[in-house]
Amino acid sequence: MTRRLALLAAFAAFAAAAAGPVLAADRLHLYNWNNYIAPETVKRFEAACKCEVVQTYYSDNEELLAKLAAGAKGYDVLVPTGNTVEALVKGRQLQPLDKAKIPNLRNVDPAYLDTPWDPGNQYSAPYAMSTTILGYNDQKMKELGLPTDTWAVIFDPKFLARVKGRVTVLDSSAELFAAAFKYLGYSANDVDEKHWREAADLIKMAKPYWAAFNASSYIKELTVGNIWLVHGYSNDIFQANLDAQAAGRKFRILQGVPKEGAVLAVDSMVIHRSAPRPDLAHQFINFMLDGRNSAELTNLIGSGNPNLDAARHIKPELKALPAVFPPKEVAAKLEQLNELSPAQRRLRNRLWTEIRASR
Amino acid sequence: MRKGRVALWAAALVAYAFLYVPLAIVVVYSFNDSRLNAEWVGFTLDWYRKLANDDEMIRAAVNSLAIALVASLVSTVLGTMAGVAMHRYRMRVLPLLVFAPIAIPEILMGVALLIFFVLLNLTLGLVSVALAHIAFCIGFVAIVVRARLAGMDESLVEAARDCGATPWQAFLRVTLPLIMPGVIAGALMAFTLSIDDFVITFFTAGAGTVTLPLQIYSMIKIAVTPEVNAVSTLLMLLTLVLIVVAARLSPSLLRTNQENP
Amino acid sequence: MATGEARRGERRGRWLVGGPPLAYLVVFFAIPTLIMVLASFRTPGDFGGLAPLVSADGTLDLNVESWARLVEDAVYLEVFAKSVVYALVTTVACLVLAYPLAALIAQSPRKYRDLLLLLVILPFWSNFLIRVYAWMIILGPNAALAKAVNGALALVGVEPVPLLFSSFAVLVCLVYVHLPFMVLPLYANLEKHDRALLDAAQDLGANAWQRFWRITFPLSLPGVYAGGALVFIPALGIFAIPDILGGPNDSLIGNLIKQQFLETRDWPFGSALSIVLTFAALALAGLAAWIGRRGSGEMARA
Repeated sequence: MTRRLALLAAFAAFAAAAAGPVLAADRLHLYNWNNYIAPETVKRFEAACKCEVVQTYYSDNEELLAKLAAGAKGYDVLVPTGNTVEALVKGRQLQPLDKAKIPNLRNVDPAYLDTPWDPGNQYSAPYAMSTTILGYNDQKMKELGLPTDTWAVIFDPKFLARVKGRVTVLDSSAELFAAAFKYLGYSANDVDEKHWREAADLIKMAKPYWAAFNASSYIKELTVGNIWLVHGYSNDIFQANLDAQAAGRKFRILQGVPKEGAVLAVDSMVIHRSAPRPDLAHQFINFMLDGRNSAELTNLIGSGNPNLDAARHIKPELKALPAVFPPKEVAAKLEQLNELSPAQRRLRNRLWTEIRASR
Repeated sequence: MRKGRVALWAAALVAYAFLYVPLAIVVVYSFNDSRLNAEWVGFTLDWYRKLANDDEMIRAAVNSLAIALVASLVSTVLGTMAGVAMHRYRMRVLPLLVFAPIAIPEILMGVALLIFFVLLNLTLGLVSVALAHIAFCIGFVAIVVRARLAGMDESLVEAARDCGATPWQAFLRVTLPLIMPGVIAGALMAFTLSIDDFVITFFTAGAGTVTLPLQIYSMIKIAVTPEVNAVSTLLMLLTLVLIVVAARLSPSLLRTNQENP
Repeated sequence: MATGEARRGERRGRWLVGGPPLAYLVVFFAIPTLIMVLASFRTPGDFGGLAPLVSADGTLDLNVESWARLVEDAVYLEVFAKSVVYALVTTVACLVLAYPLAALIAQSPRKYRDLLLLLVILPFWSNFLIRVYAWMIILGPNAALAKAVNGALALVGVEPVPLLFSSFAVLVCLVYVHLPFMVLPLYANLEKHDRALLDAAQDLGANAWQRFWRITFPLSLPGVYAGGALVFIPALGIFAIPDILGGPNDSLIGNLIKQQFLETRDWPFGSALSIVLTFAALALAGLAAWIGRRGSGEMARA
């Protein structure tokens, strides 16, 4: 009998422990990418607002969208990427920002404000950016004599033949088609069906040379030296180099910004329409728009920064990277992806399925 | 007999090796002095130290364990009942409802359950996740229990009834001990499924709910650091200890093997 | 016992025992699923999710567009067929690996059985992702295995093959992830086999293989089918493994369905695909069980 009681008591204690943290008076629910805010920043904000920041994570904009579309609530601040903001705005999932509460918005580079999908920044405040570019093993690329500043190196069989089985591309139809469009000389946001099919054919021709469509484990393969060339995100490629150096590798992982242009992804802070604490949410957004706090993320992961006030807090070697503060010539060729209509998305998925099933 | 025995041992050892080589890598790499789970760089205890200070990860692990315990308990009870019912009676709808959750893609079920919970105005949190897990674990338990019951000697139960036992007593004293290995096998499967589930958990978790898979999968695009190896190693050890302790506390209940009647 | 009483007892038993799981599954499985079955007849929302069921002018938004798309395109059938092949190979491989393991555990001395069984399932309480990453390390081009295999191939003059980012990697990982779900049901069945039958057969002159094939295996068939179902059916819908270590051609039906709910935001089409997958999986499993029942019937007669 006592044995059973002991078991029950242990179970109850366990369940109580799992029931949740000690109730904090004020909580801000932040739904963000993992490792997309420095721990010191969170602590400083918690001290400043005398509240607790409860973080949960997603790893894909579409996951965020699907969850909210099905009706999930309870989140205060979200950090979606450009075109996802558009979907959220049009889907009436957000509440407007009270500009009076976020005076630091003036710190943001005007080039990233007032986008077509959020004129006047009614709903969103830019947070951080990344570009989708090439990442490469500098030793191998030099050995093989391959260019690193053009999309041709992942699409043209002439170059691919030298690096067959050592290239990965992102497992994202949106990103890969955008890269193909740029290579073919079109806008990344082209919606002409003929151009879509042209891009699909280009991809099918290049596919046999690629090792994988991968958005999740390609970076470590690049760092270890199994993969020599990737189509990937600038933050990840920056991290890969840090890891490679830390592991004492003889090569460096460098970022290659293609001359034809690339996709720019600007992540913005938004407030969910049924946020439990919009006051804390505004406080948080204003806090993150302060240059010093914004800079901490860039210093941590090498992310692009749309905040002009952050420049003086960012480490010099990072400031020099074209992916962090894109110089005018590069910025001119970067494009943010637009939303597609359901019919266009269906076409894209149809072509993508054909591509993935082709041999 | 000898040759058969040796072949059996050899084949089983190959299977155990297949199971444990990756696990050995997981444990060894928890001491790896590199952010990536890709190659061995050097030995360090840093990741365990980091884990000790990582409140989020620890809370996630505790949540996962709690949900898995509750979900496997409830689904084992319900699944055993379902398995027995399917074996003894002619159930028309139950078999479909038992098999279908195993076949249905997780993402469909996750979205469906989220929509359903929102319709019911149920607050999302640990409870909603547990309810979802139970739904897909019942089937696994039911199928194993039914397979165990197949070909079971009914005469024992009849004999018990003839001796005056009520159906409940006959079940408790005769059937249940005989099917216990199947029940335990089902419970172990349910626990495993629950503790590692990502997709359904992602959709049914609340705004402040973290489980270990949610935490870990969110790292997938950056780096799944050896801290994950560390927490997994500790979780495995903890679960093993829990089970051994539970078995000691109630030996008769948890014996997975029975006398052959 | 009077038959009336027996029938009432039977009905009572059926509701007492079968009722609770039935109720739970109806509420937390059947109803949510029916919501999504209905969704397959609706239109996708412009910005994700579903369009309103009752549109602004009061009409019900129901159509069969998604279902029509399923049949108008052969490529979906192709992807599905490939997934069936992968799932079948996985199931057979799991059976071959799991059977000796389950048999060994079932035949071990009583006091070791629990431990051996726990040892089988223990690795699966670590996280799925890092187990897959462990396989990436094992199959990596610079690891021992790849070097050995490609070295052997080089001797015969064959080009080196990548072990990672290939169908081989996907299959190995699929087998790995599903193995305990074959071992446990098999064990639960094998454990109750009566040694006396085998001893009697041996006395009558049967060798080890005959004892296995004519006594043990037929008796273990329910376990084989249970394990087969618990491997084949989930394996059919898997997407994470091809995503992480699959090659460019390893896109399975699970990946396709996931894309519909995420990238393409076409929930109706995703629902339609899922329903087809579910029915096909259940039908194939049912077919296998039916064949097995007929086969074992013949064996019993032989």
